[in-house]
Amino acid sequence: MSQMLKREVVYAITGIVTVIMFLEYFFFPESQAWAEIIRTWSVIIYNISLGLGAVRLTMAHSMNVQRRRENWAFSGVLLAGLAIMLLTGLAGYFMTGQQTNNAIYNWLFNWVYTPLGATLYPITGFYIFSAAYRAFRARNIDAALMLIAGCFVILSNAPVGEALWIGFATVGEWFRFTGQVPGMRTFALVGTLGMIAYGFRALLGKERGFYAGGEE
Amino acid sequence: MGFSLANIDRRVFYWILFIALMVPFLNPIGFPIKIAENTRDLYEGITEDSVEPGDVWVINFGYGVSAWPECHPGVTVCAKALLREGAHVILMGPHTDVELTYKHLLDTAKEDFDAATYGEDYVFLGYITGGESAIAQLASNMRSVYPTDHFATQLDDIPMMQDVNTWHDVSGVLSSDTGDWGGYFLTQWQEPYGVPMAQIGIAMLGSTGIPRWLAGNYFGMSVGSRGGAELEMLIGEPGDAIIAMDSISVSHLLIVIAVIVANVGLLLERGRRS
Repeated sequence: MSQMLKREVVYAITGIVTVIMFLEYFFFPESQAWAEIIRTWSVIIYNISLGLGAVRLTMAHSMNVQRRRENWAFSGVLLAGLAIMLLTGLAGYFMTGQQTNNAIYNWLFNWVYTPLGATLYPITGFYIFSAAYRAFRARNIDAALMLIAGCFVILSNAPVGEALWIGFATVGEWFRFTGQVPGMRTFALVGTLGMIAYGFRALLGKERGFYAGGEE
Repeated sequence: MGFSLANIDRRVFYWILFIALMVPFLNPIGFPIKIAENTRDLYEGITEDSVEPGDVWVINFGYGVSAWPECHPGVTVCAKALLREGAHVILMGPHTDVELTYKHLLDTAKEDFDAATYGEDYVFLGYITGGESAIAQLASNMRSVYPTDHFATQLDDIPMMQDVNTWHDVSGVLSSDTGDWGGYFLTQWQEPYGVPMAQIGIAMLGSTGIPRWLAGNYFGMSVGSRGGAELEMLIGEPGDAIIAMDSISVSHLLIVIAVIVANVGLLLERGRRS
């Protein structure tokens, strides 16, 4: 029975949902009440999965702390952060009906989360700068061509490039439009065809990872 | 072991960048900024004849706090432009910190939002989950995804939302993204129903977004901080993105210099060995 639930029922549900959504999208847009119900369910299941993810995260990091695994202190910080945000958010919600009406919650969001988030991208700038020096080396003709194209695109994106020489903008734009667009279109088309092929394989039961987490 | 151009300590680069970035903040340079066609198309698509008073537009905050420098200036300009045209704006987003972005927008476009009325000119629906299915569902029944706005008011009780429930009631979508959400609007709103849409993306999304703009899927596109600066130029109100352009110039130039130094070092080493 469990094998049947794992495989046949999963395939049956997937097949029915696929047919309904396919027909709705390509042939009868907006006229399929069933499709709307399925989408609503999809959103509900997605939301449940968020809660499930939080529970799983808590369990995994609690084990890290309990068994003093490597970097267990970070797991502790994560659990503390999770508990504080959850409790302050819930406290605000139960008291006022809005989770954001709690001073501690707002303070943490505005004065801890925001500066940390805003710092994230600028830090990558430093890594990119040193990585550009260490990795972008013309060891062969292919790498040299990529480097030259990259330098033109970088300088065409920054106003200083045009100020130094107008040709940086012209050549950089050529790379961005004439050079890059056909490649990206090909990539998108091939990727989409691959997704369609994957979908058919999944429906036919040829993709193991599709059901029961890939277990036999 | 002597000094080698090919093996400079990474900390030297960190310090060079740190010091170099100070210069434009202390003494702004102000390089001229050329406006790209894709940015101009975006601006023209949300101003003058393209927007009628009372049109409803969706602005999707598909970015978190970390991407404010890249996405937010463009969103600020678009929100200002739409409100000035008398459009009604629906704000929403799939990031957990969407409320911070909403509050930040109220601050960066303060005069325009102060002149507008919540519930009549704009509404904040808040956080959305559910990926592409949720975006598809928004097109057919907004109330099934958002029964209330972010402040727990029923959509039926919000004057602006009285007659708004499907894609039919929306004149256009602006999705500002670090990831896939613009693509979801593209496949679930623009392609099946032809709802006009544009993207305000981080610089990395230029490579996927520009082909869509050239194909006509997006009526315009703003790419990264540069796009934001161009939009600020178009609306005639310099802001954070134009200020950031000097830093972008310095950092980009330093990256190119670093690449040149590394390769000169490599050539010198090869010459020494041979």
